[in-house]
Amino acid sequence: MIDRRNFLINILGFLLLAGSTHLIAQESISGDHVTVRWLAPSSFVDRASEKIGFYFEVDPGWHVYWRNPGDSGAAPRFTITPNGAEVGAIEWPFPSRLKIEHLTNLGYAGNVAYLFDLTPDRGGKVIALSAELEWLVCKIECIPGFGTMTLTRPVSDETRWSSANLDLRNHFAKRVPQSSVYSPWKPISLAAQGKDRIHLLLESETASKAPKVFPINGDLFSASKPKLQREGKTLDYTFGRQPGAALSESADFVLTDGTRAWRLDRVSFGTAMPEAKSRPLWLLVLAALAGGIILNLMPCVFPVLSIKLLGLVNEGYSERGRWREGLLYGAGVLTTFVALGVLLLVLRSWGAAIGWGFQLQSAPVVMALIALFWLMGLSFSGVFEFGHRLVNLAGVSRGGSFATGVLAVFVAAPCTGPFMGVALGTAAVLPAVEALLIFLGLGMGLAAPFVLLCASPVLLKRLPRPGPWMEKLRQFLAFPLYATVIWLLWVLGRILGESGWLIGALLLLAVTFTLWLGYNFSRIGRIIAWILMLTFLVIGYSTLTPKEKTFSKVAAGWQEYDRSLLDQALEEGRPVFIDYTAAWCITCQVNKKLVLDTPEVQRLFHKNKVLLLRADWTRQDPEITEALAALGRNSVPVYAWYPAGSREPQLLPQILQESIIVDLFNEKRKTK
Amino acid sequence: MGMKIINSSLFSIGCLWFFLLLSSSVAATAVPGEKAPDFLVADAQGDKHSLADYAGQWLVIEWFNKDCPYVKKHYGSGNMQFLQKKYTEQDVRWLTVISSAEGKQGYLEPTEALSVAKTHNLSASRPFLLDTSGEMGRAFGAKTTPHMFIINPEGEVVYAGAIDDNDSANPSVIANSHNYVSAALDASLKGKVVPRSSSRAYGCSVKY
Repeated sequence: MIDRRNFLINILGFLLLAGSTHLIAQESISGDHVTVRWLAPSSFVDRASEKIGFYFEVDPGWHVYWRNPGDSGAAPRFTITPNGAEVGAIEWPFPSRLKIEHLTNLGYAGNVAYLFDLTPDRGGKVIALSAELEWLVCKIECIPGFGTMTLTRPVSDETRWSSANLDLRNHFAKRVPQSSVYSPWKPISLAAQGKDRIHLLLESETASKAPKVFPINGDLFSASKPKLQREGKTLDYTFGRQPGAALSESADFVLTDGTRAWRLDRVSFGTAMPEAKSRPLWLLVLAALAGGIILNLMPCVFPVLSIKLLGLVNEGYSERGRWREGLLYGAGVLTTFVALGVLLLVLRSWGAAIGWGFQLQSAPVVMALIALFWLMGLSFSGVFEFGHRLVNLAGVSRGGSFATGVLAVFVAAPCTGPFMGVALGTAAVLPAVEALLIFLGLGMGLAAPFVLLCASPVLLKRLPRPGPWMEKLRQFLAFPLYATVIWLLWVLGRILGESGWLIGALLLLAVTFTLWLGYNFSRIGRIIAWILMLTFLVIGYSTLTPKEKTFSKVAAGWQEYDRSLLDQALEEGRPVFIDYTAAWCITCQVNKKLVLDTPEVQRLFHKNKVLLLRADWTRQDPEITEALAALGRNSVPVYAWYPAGSREPQLLPQILQESIIVDLFNEKRKTK
Repeated sequence: MGMKIINSSLFSIGCLWFFLLLSSSVAATAVPGEKAPDFLVADAQGDKHSLADYAGQWLVIEWFNKDCPYVKKHYGSGNMQFLQKKYTEQDVRWLTVISSAEGKQGYLEPTEALSVAKTHNLSASRPFLLDTSGEMGRAFGAKTTPHMFIINPEGEVVYAGAIDDNDSANPSVIANSHNYVSAALDASLKGKVVPRSSSRAYGCSVKY
């Protein structure tokens, strides 16, 4: 059966595809979650090329695909049969990376227009198109759609657009990649590295922001976001390679700065890159070493080590004995670092999303540390003489050095110094053996000062002579330990909620009472003390159930980290500041108090309509761990700044100053 | 005594390294040219299957989700069953795996799986393998349904990727598509090198 419209067109002498005649020919089609209509003028001009297109209106939360759809899905297909005109190839606006569960898709979250050029034939009076469409629209589930659309328009002396349609056409035409001639970034090289990576190096004289890069060949390149490293004017993108995919001669890419896009056609593959790391391993190990040395000065580590060291001098060890203690301490530090490193790597290989400092995300560990620091504090204050039996960890007796080393690592871990952030972040993505080298570097740094002092009589002689002042120093050093207890109680409160404080404080009461019992009464007292202690511990630990809800209180002006909030703001081109923080991270708290939460900085953020997100990593949170990993980090603090209109974050220094924040906005003014 | 502690700590470091090397040798995904990851999954009749059970045989592994339009494309047209029949008759083993988690699209209880096998005219070597935990799917790096893998008698992956070169959901394109799986199997069974060992797997995401 031939419908009336086609019949009329036939009379005019135009032939249409036989296949489309049994469908109701129309200017728009609707499928599940999608409506497609033409973006076209109401009249064309003879032989004047005009860009028109298919406009896909997609339900919120659903998406359609780019020419390379990524890990799943499919690009839409258009078979256009023109009459009285010539049509060009489909032009694809640049896509975005859509993370759908375990996969990355390349497509459009929202409405999109697929465009093409149409040129009416010479002397024609009317053009007619018939287009067969096939598309896939997905949320998590996917629904395919099919349909035929027709377009019949007169050819006159004017191209007449409705202004709404013209705006839409222009909006998407701007997003269609231009020739590489106009690209601010030029390809320098393209090379495979090993079996599973491909590097694309770009260079730009003018542009400062890094563009997003999308490979067109999905058979060769994995769709996931490439890792980006910047070296001066050079940008190094590392793409994943599809397992076992053969290399081609060349590859095509699309670059975008978020508003415009460019094609990089036929970038030839050069010789494969050596497997070497672009950031040499020795440099990372060196940085780890430096970070480790700095750890010695952290408020929780310093008292423990200095008392231990003075003890060694005081006890009158032989040179050999001191040497041995030094080595024992070093062994303790290294073993613990490696053990924690291995645990971290093994857990990661099992898929757990955790990062460095993970041991402080566990309530029992924090609780144990509270008790330990409390006991050490009491001992330093001289409240109890423990006789170097119960707690000889920080004491002076023989054989305790190994344990001192273990302890030093445990308490030092949260105080990730500025040098360690990069090293630990890299360790998380390096192969196991190299990651362990970095952990060992940190350990050696932490152990070095103590071991050196033990080993060198010359250095040791420089230390002040032992005397009664040592007792005073010891008592003084109890106070940083008490401060640490307060801090850890606060951490426990963040993990467990309000009850954390109470449970922690009761534990301290119990410990102190037990000690008093044990010291002031004979054998029976001690036995009762032990029983009491065990009871307290069992009861205490059984109450350690983390609260369900995440911390309801986020400081004014800040919102809890939420991927969708971030995406939405980036989509709107709104600037975003993310504070990756944790209660157990001291640097984070200092930055918060001195810089981020000051009225001046808050006013500045408010004035510039910055979306402030706080990603609290106090307890394990896979989403935040993943977000950190995407930034190449594995520890806090991390400060990510997305300037207005940019989708690439800049990482700010780990030690913030107000001027750094102020500069963010000055810079913005300059570039505008 | 001190030396003893040093020795024992060195020993424990050694143990940890050994443990680490062991754990890092587990393959992450199925990569053409490399050993296939091991698996242990029960089929809808309750029989367990592992990679070792198929040593010495050609094995095709296919990921399935009855509600996925791309699976429907290849089952509705009879294309998949035709391949299953054709190659199992040539002594190739064929396993069809469901990795949908409970509550997700495509998840089937064993009894349901048996009836779906019947209604779909499944001609694989066994009724569906039910990988509800997704362990096997993740070990293989199965991204989509239908994601296809071919494993040789030595246990090495020779093909990983899409079933053919046309990612349309329309069954009418099958006749003119180039089927990568049958091309790889035909070459392999004749003792020839697989013409193409990898492609972008198209289809719906696996619903882990």
